[in-house]
Amino acid sequence: MANVTFPFPFPEHLSSLMPEMFVAVIAMALLLLDLFIPREKKCITAYIAIATASVAALLCVSVNPAEPLVGFYGFFVLDQFAVFAKVLICLATALAMVLSVQYMKDLENVGEYYVLMLFAMLGMMLMSSANNFIVMYLGLELMALCIYVLVGYQRDILRSNEAALKYFILGALSSCMLLYGVTFLYGVTGSFDFVTIGKGLADAGSSSHTAVMLGLVFIIAGLAFKVSMAPFHMWTPDAYEGAPTPVTAFMSVAPKVAGFVIFIRILDQAMPALQHEYTMILSAIAVLTMAVGNLAAIAQRNIKRMLAYSTVGHVGFVMLGLIAANDDGYAGILVYMSIYLFMTMGAFAIIIIMQREGIQGELLDDFSGLSKARPGYALAMGLMLFSLAGIPFLGGFWAKYAVFIAAVEAGHVYLVLYALLFSAVGAFYYIRLVKYIYFDDARVQFNFSESRLMQLTVVLMAIAVVALGVYPDPLMDLCKSAVAAMI
Amino acid sequence: MDLNNVLDFPILSLSIFLPTIGALIIWLFVRGDNAVRWATLAVSVLTFIVTLPLALSFDTSTAHMQFEEFHPWISAFNVNYQLGVDGISMPFIILTSLLTVICIVSAWQCIQTRVKEYMLSFLILETTLIGVFSALDAILFYFFWEAMLIPMYLIIGIWGGKNRVYATIKFFLYTLAGSVLMLVAVLAMYFKAGHTFSLLAFMDYPFDFTWQFWIWIAFFIAFAVKVPMWPVHTWLPDAHTEAPTAGSVILAGILLKMGAYGFLRFSLPMLPDASQYFVPFVVMLSLIAIVYISLVAMMQTDLKRLIAYSSIAHMGFVTLGAFMFTQVAMEGALFGMISHGFVAAALFLCVGVMYDRLHTREISAYGGVANVMPVFAAVVVLFAMANVALPGASSFVAEIMVLIGTFDTSAVAQAHLPVSMKWVAIVATISVVLSACYTLWMVKRVIFGDVDKASVASMKDMNKREFGYFIPLILLVIWLGLYPAPVLDVMHASVTNLVTQAVTSKLDAAAALAQAAPMAEAVHH
Repeated sequence: MANVTFPFPFPEHLSSLMPEMFVAVIAMALLLLDLFIPREKKCITAYIAIATASVAALLCVSVNPAEPLVGFYGFFVLDQFAVFAKVLICLATALAMVLSVQYMKDLENVGEYYVLMLFAMLGMMLMSSANNFIVMYLGLELMALCIYVLVGYQRDILRSNEAALKYFILGALSSCMLLYGVTFLYGVTGSFDFVTIGKGLADAGSSSHTAVMLGLVFIIAGLAFKVSMAPFHMWTPDAYEGAPTPVTAFMSVAPKVAGFVIFIRILDQAMPALQHEYTMILSAIAVLTMAVGNLAAIAQRNIKRMLAYSTVGHVGFVMLGLIAANDDGYAGILVYMSIYLFMTMGAFAIIIIMQREGIQGELLDDFSGLSKARPGYALAMGLMLFSLAGIPFLGGFWAKYAVFIAAVEAGHVYLVLYALLFSAVGAFYYIRLVKYIYFDDARVQFNFSESRLMQLTVVLMAIAVVALGVYPDPLMDLCKSAVAAMI
Repeated sequence: MDLNNVLDFPILSLSIFLPTIGALIIWLFVRGDNAVRWATLAVSVLTFIVTLPLALSFDTSTAHMQFEEFHPWISAFNVNYQLGVDGISMPFIILTSLLTVICIVSAWQCIQTRVKEYMLSFLILETTLIGVFSALDAILFYFFWEAMLIPMYLIIGIWGGKNRVYATIKFFLYTLAGSVLMLVAVLAMYFKAGHTFSLLAFMDYPFDFTWQFWIWIAFFIAFAVKVPMWPVHTWLPDAHTEAPTAGSVILAGILLKMGAYGFLRFSLPMLPDASQYFVPFVVMLSLIAIVYISLVAMMQTDLKRLIAYSSIAHMGFVTLGAFMFTQVAMEGALFGMISHGFVAAALFLCVGVMYDRLHTREISAYGGVANVMPVFAAVVVLFAMANVALPGASSFVAEIMVLIGTFDTSAVAQAHLPVSMKWVAIVATISVVLSACYTLWMVKRVIFGDVDKASVASMKDMNKREFGYFIPLILLVIWLGLYPAPVLDVMHASVTNLVTQAVTSKLDAAAALAQAAPMAEAVHH
């Protein structure tokens, strides 16, 4: 974990920032370019944005450093961990945009939509590389502001507006809490820098205990909001339901990746001295999150709300990696997030294909008889659902396995037992949807909104979920080495 | 550990994946229901042929794993693709590949909707079942154990009876909730036994009593749900009743055996002290299963429900035998599983034959079937007698061995029991009568008597295809009943080894290890 700090003259710093600069430049250029693209050809904007996100992913890989780099006076860090997270974020964004093309064409066809996604992606990339609370906050707000707008994108639909407003107000509140927490730590240690704070807290001892604890609690609460941990998850179902479905897909993956990455950095670097305390807090939150997510999902009739609670449940499982607080746990989080990306994007792709006239095709009932109408989609959706339930030969099993084994290693056997019981509870609502798809007869005429691109996405996601389920070794190795090379 | 194959060829891998590869080919390239049926049959017969060398070139003189394969799978956690069979697991693989063929033939006509999906489900199910019985890595075992849920969930849910959705979700959740505990236990053992998932390493590692106690409970819940033992058996009658015929056959023939196999593969050899400690508990539950469930079976009005309860009662004999710590009883338990695989499968197929004709499973809807279907009646009576464990049938050999093994008290089991083992054996023996009661009463009401229903009068006797799939079962039940030696020989060495493992306490070694650990640390410093 050697630190290589460059002197001021920038070239090396700039090259490590290349993906972010690329995205920023293209996004701004695209905003202008979009003015000259006629409304019926807005998919050009979409394709440029998709290409940008994909190229950004490649650029991230190309700047992958062997040793962690810390630049810009310690504001910015580039290590394999950040690179891995950025690639996931770019991939999630690109996929979400792919899912949007047809959907937006059917609705209001607007170009800024894709630009907002790119900016949100930029914010999350910055978050992944943050080594400092200020940079983290900049990235976080850039992401959050874009997503507030995206959630409320269907201006003429009441629930979309309602969702955006709720999300915005609660989001602003959580940002305040986060900042408030940061000020406590700044007061104690006199720094925004993660590493300096970490050292300062280790030295501070118990004299400043109350302030440190307040800081810890507020920071965890603020971040918990962003990744939908209970009881800070209240916005999730409403925002998921009200947002345009591709945005829901985007929200349920990319910000979670960024959120957990920054969570890991903060806990691992700024708060190692508080491990006992944060483990206790997070364990309590995890217990609640798993219960709320998995139990509330059972009661849902709307698939987007169900997946919202399912996300909450999954976040509860992922938290075991944070609680384990060891390399295996952090690697487990990356494994979980990677596999979760494929499962969720695959599931949402099919939901979007199913959607008719905006909001139909959102109820669980609407999936009745899909297997007879379109066996291909039914199979893919079945695979995604079994994978989300964590049944083997599908990726979701290894996702859970990776975090659970790390938590057992750290001695949290009871928590794992609890998590496993709730994963069995969670299986119920996934297999209930399989029931609609496979066992029931169709109630209404299906009318798919599909394109070759969407079909390709579904096929690729299904292949990824099965391939990762059968042979997860390369992914696990990659995540392990990414965490080992973390600063 | 010798990792070389006895044969160079990876027979186990081929047996596991041949059905899946076949399923993929059928899925992509075969069109038309009939073509799918024939292709599936071809794949399953081929798989059966591939598994035959396991039996034919099996070395009966050793308890070591044979046909071993070893490849690293997930290097980060030392999870390996480790396969191998011994005398305990090998018979189940043959049983699986044989019953799959029979299942596919039996579904030839009664499955008319979504034929392709049905056949593919069965092939994938076969992969997971053979995988369970040949896995020597705990995660690989769990992988197949859980993966089995997906095809079974679909088989019951899509092609089942009226109440199929309830039954299949119940089945799925019961089994899943049971087996998650097993996963925790396995993960805990991984760290305790030094970062390995190898079953053989788990068998060798001396776990102390506290560990054995908790891990045993976790395993017990997982396996007891699968067996199923009273009181976690309630999913089985529902699942059996609602499943399509072939689904019931696989369920009774193989799936129930997975639980008992788990006891023999995990609980007894890995946790001998906890297994001995829990003998009274297991004996009690087994006797409840034998006596109480037999009484419940008697009161059933639904044919499949009756046979389902009868299966639970018979599995009670199996769990009883497994926890007697005597060679005879354990071999009887194993033999009982194989035998029950044939007998229960055949009985469900009999119900299937009748159901195909009248589309009801109510006992009261039949009566006098022997008058219109004489050949079929003969088959039913034969398997009913086998179910009662009449001498000459394979199940007789199994039950008599379990009972002898129970009478012939092992000191280990007796030491933990408050009452004499003789009483256990006496209760078990008396209750054999109960199985005669419900089986013969069922036969009387269904097969014999006058034909007083028009619907029954219109039933046609079995056709050649139907009779065809009973032939191997009839031959096997009678052959194993008269001459069980070939199967017992296969088991013998492995069971001897298992009994040794199960009666040898690990506590001394665990204590020695606990003492050595601080000393080693001190030396290290």
